[in-house]
Amino acid sequence: MQSNACAPGRLLPALIFVLMSAQALPAAAHGERAQEPYLRTRTAHWYDVKWSTDKLSVNDTVTVTGRFRLFHDWPDAVKPPDTVFVSNATPGPVFARVDSSLNGVPARQSFRDLQIGRDYEYKMVLQGRVPGRYHVHPMIAVKGSGPLVGPGKWIEVTGNQADFTYPLKAISGENIENVETWGLSTAVKWHLILLAIAAAWILWWIRRPLLIPRYLALKKEREDLLTTNVDLAVAIGLLVVVVALSFGGYAWARSKYPRTVPLQAGTMYTAPLPAQPKVVDIRFKEARYDVPGRSMRMTFDVTNVSDKPLRLGEFATASIRFINQNLPAARANVAPDYPHDVVARTGLAIADDIEIKPGETRTLKVDATDAAWEIERLTSFLTDVDSKFGGLLFFFDAQGNRYLAEVGGPILPVFRKTV
Amino acid sequence: MSPNSREILQVSGLPPEGAKLSRIWDWCVVAAVALLFMGAIHLHVMLTVGDWDMFVDWKDRQYWVLVVPVSMLMIPAALQGVFWHYFRLPIGMTLGAVLLLIATWITRIVGWHIWGYFPFTMGVPSTILAGAMACDAVLLIVRSSLLTSTFGGFLFALLFFPSNWPSLAAYFLPVEHQGMVASVADMIGYAFPRSGTPEYIRLIERGTLRTYEGSTVWVSTFFAGIICIFMHMIWWQVGLLFSTQKFVPTSKRFRRFVGLADAPQPAAKA
Amino acid sequence: MSDTTHAIPAPGIAAQQTADDRKPGYYVRFNLFALGVVVMVVMFAAYRMYQQVYAWNFGLDATSPEFDRYWMTLLKIQLPVLFGAGFVCWAYLWITRDRNLAALKPKVELRRYLTFTLWLVAYTLAIYFIGSFFAEGDAVWHQTVMRDTPFTPSHIVLFYACIPTYIFFSVGGFIYAMTRLPAFSRGVSVAHVLAVLGPVLILPNLGFNEWGHAFWLTEEIFSHPLHWGFVVLGWNALALPGVALQIIQRMVPLFHEVFDNTQAAQTA
Repeated sequence: MQSNACAPGRLLPALIFVLMSAQALPAAAHGERAQEPYLRTRTAHWYDVKWSTDKLSVNDTVTVTGRFRLFHDWPDAVKPPDTVFVSNATPGPVFARVDSSLNGVPARQSFRDLQIGRDYEYKMVLQGRVPGRYHVHPMIAVKGSGPLVGPGKWIEVTGNQADFTYPLKAISGENIENVETWGLSTAVKWHLILLAIAAAWILWWIRRPLLIPRYLALKKEREDLLTTNVDLAVAIGLLVVVVALSFGGYAWARSKYPRTVPLQAGTMYTAPLPAQPKVVDIRFKEARYDVPGRSMRMTFDVTNVSDKPLRLGEFATASIRFINQNLPAARANVAPDYPHDVVARTGLAIADDIEIKPGETRTLKVDATDAAWEIERLTSFLTDVDSKFGGLLFFFDAQGNRYLAEVGGPILPVFRKTV
Repeated sequence: MSPNSREILQVSGLPPEGAKLSRIWDWCVVAAVALLFMGAIHLHVMLTVGDWDMFVDWKDRQYWVLVVPVSMLMIPAALQGVFWHYFRLPIGMTLGAVLLLIATWITRIVGWHIWGYFPFTMGVPSTILAGAMACDAVLLIVRSSLLTSTFGGFLFALLFFPSNWPSLAAYFLPVEHQGMVASVADMIGYAFPRSGTPEYIRLIERGTLRTYEGSTVWVSTFFAGIICIFMHMIWWQVGLLFSTQKFVPTSKRFRRFVGLADAPQPAAKA
Repeated sequence: MSDTTHAIPAPGIAAQQTADDRKPGYYVRFNLFALGVVVMVVMFAAYRMYQQVYAWNFGLDATSPEFDRYWMTLLKIQLPVLFGAGFVCWAYLWITRDRNLAALKPKVELRRYLTFTLWLVAYTLAIYFIGSFFAEGDAVWHQTVMRDTPFTPSHIVLFYACIPTYIFFSVGGFIYAMTRLPAFSRGVSVAHVLAVLGPVLILPNLGFNEWGHAFWLTEEIFSHPLHWGFVVLGWNALALPGVALQIIQRMVPLFHEVFDNTQAAQTA
């Protein structure tokens, strides 16, 4: 039996169909690498970010949780977080948002008056929608400044997009099977009705000699020929039909959906998370970035104002984590399924890495070396007009309890490799 | 061909071959007008009121009802002026509205849906078809640009909300989400993330200060109507201004390059 | 789309040639126009399919080597090719200009007016692609990813492919008119200048647009005043009806010259 499946006539439409509906293959960052370092290191610092799964089917959900600290040395060029929207960075609506909250407060609306220097708890529930493998980040958007993006993890969605549904139940009783298609056939039909009448009106005129003859007839003052009584009657009819259809359609829609609400626009407010008790005083001294060596070296004084000995376990900035590999509690603080590409392999090197006793002030020289600085384009410190950086420090006591502190200040580039 | 058409051709004085060529030329112009103004009107609307038109969760009672008809009126009104002034064709507004809606739906399908995976329900466009047809009809009835601006322009805005409500009412049903009221439109905007459009960026009604019991949409409509009257007057004139047939004489040097008769001629060529 | 004048036919075949040159097909030549349209449609369809496949796969992160390979390479190829094609075409039109418009026969002039019309139709097809098709695609793209470069997969097509394409046709049509039509050579058509220059100025306005996006516009509002330069320049589309009227004003006497008095037209 001869098959003509390969005939060009069939191939081309098939090719077009395939190309037009091509699925996304792995995509990495979404542009956050092109954001300025001062934006990524001195605004929202994300920590304890967790993704409930890295593989789900269409219609299943993944929950992203985490916290962020709004850095005290907020950059001048970034508007303060007076209005913030809790969002997610994914390549388009490949996931659907189901639920979100900030400190447990529902986050469909935007929040007002977030406080710099404080922490907030983030939660986002996403429903798989388009099969593929995507980088999923938590994100907040600050009005006037745009997105502040957290770390990303690859999440795979399997299944069939056609199976996706997002049902809702209206308070007025209507059952909405899927918001993707709700009301669409009515809208399309209505547009087609109006288009048909409009097309008929246009055709009424363009079926006749159209431009040059009419132009000439008008020049010869024979406009009586150009618009006749029949045309006038049609115009009156059109006017009546269109007005009647508009208000009739309006009345029909009101009777079909008598209970409607306007778009909701209020903002939400939540107090920040309770401040952790202060355990250290940080006095920044200097920071240098070794460009060829891809290493940031900081020096700062730490005063232990708590009653327990503490050790530095982690330095985190712009979603990159530098872990003190010599501290088990710090290593345990990294979940096994945490995206490893944003955890520096060489970790954090600390000169004089012993406990800081209560009341003691120690000068810490800390070295964070990793290719991630370059990959994440954080080396464009050099092209910043505001050459300062920021980050979070995580201290641990002997029981493995964790304490946050902020560090930041001016950063100087070094162009000679010193590592 | 109808007797009226034959009479128009006769009065025009075109030779039969000229009339045939003229008809071919008509269709070339129809194609050009359709393509040009699909591009021009769509771009104009996109960059002035695009967000309100592109997203169902921007279609509020204060701004959408006001700015969208005002913006969508502009170029169609200019077209109406040109078509009427030179050809006595009362189709400019309708043509503009049709081209806009077709161009918009094409991009909703090819762009938003096929490329961006957004559902169609997020992007149901507004339409000015009803108001545009009404305005063209008024023009033919009153045969005056001033009266068309006054009555047709106002009617254009007045019909905007009622003629769009049948296609959009379903998106303003109340639902409960996270213990709060939301419209279906809000939910669509929330469910399908747009990273460039955080919720706060919506230029929508953030609360009326007076008890109008939900009839604020008619307040906005009335205001839109007043603006549309003047917008129509202005843009009718803009259309006529742009359709200038002036030539600015070229230099003698240039005329020599192309051998025009009134330029000093070079030595005769074979 | 150039043309030549015709010699007076020999008496023996005058009747047949007379019949031929009274047919519309003698004056309206669609071949080159059709070629231009097909090339444009195929090119833009290919661009759209390229976006469909490679924008999601390699276009999300401007810092990645794949972005460089699949997108910046495309940009570096298309700019010289599209602008280059334009320069070549315009140079050709200038070099092959009619150097004796004073002796232009009415039949030829009429044919040229119809050719000029087809230049304008081709121009409007390019305007459709930038003004509508790819422009709203830009809105789509900027809703899905963070803007991290002026050369996004959407911009590479919308600005850096569409703009050279419509400039090809707009300037080409302008040069055609000025070098082959007496009315458009004797004077510069103000409407035609507006219809060409307005959209051409979109290119410098693009500079302003990217400057604004780089420095202060953080969210993606399409209706933002930053974009209104494009809006005002787009209004120049309204000047094309003026050009159409100029065409009518010369075509009508030509119809009479050519078809009312064939002998006179042939021996002019």
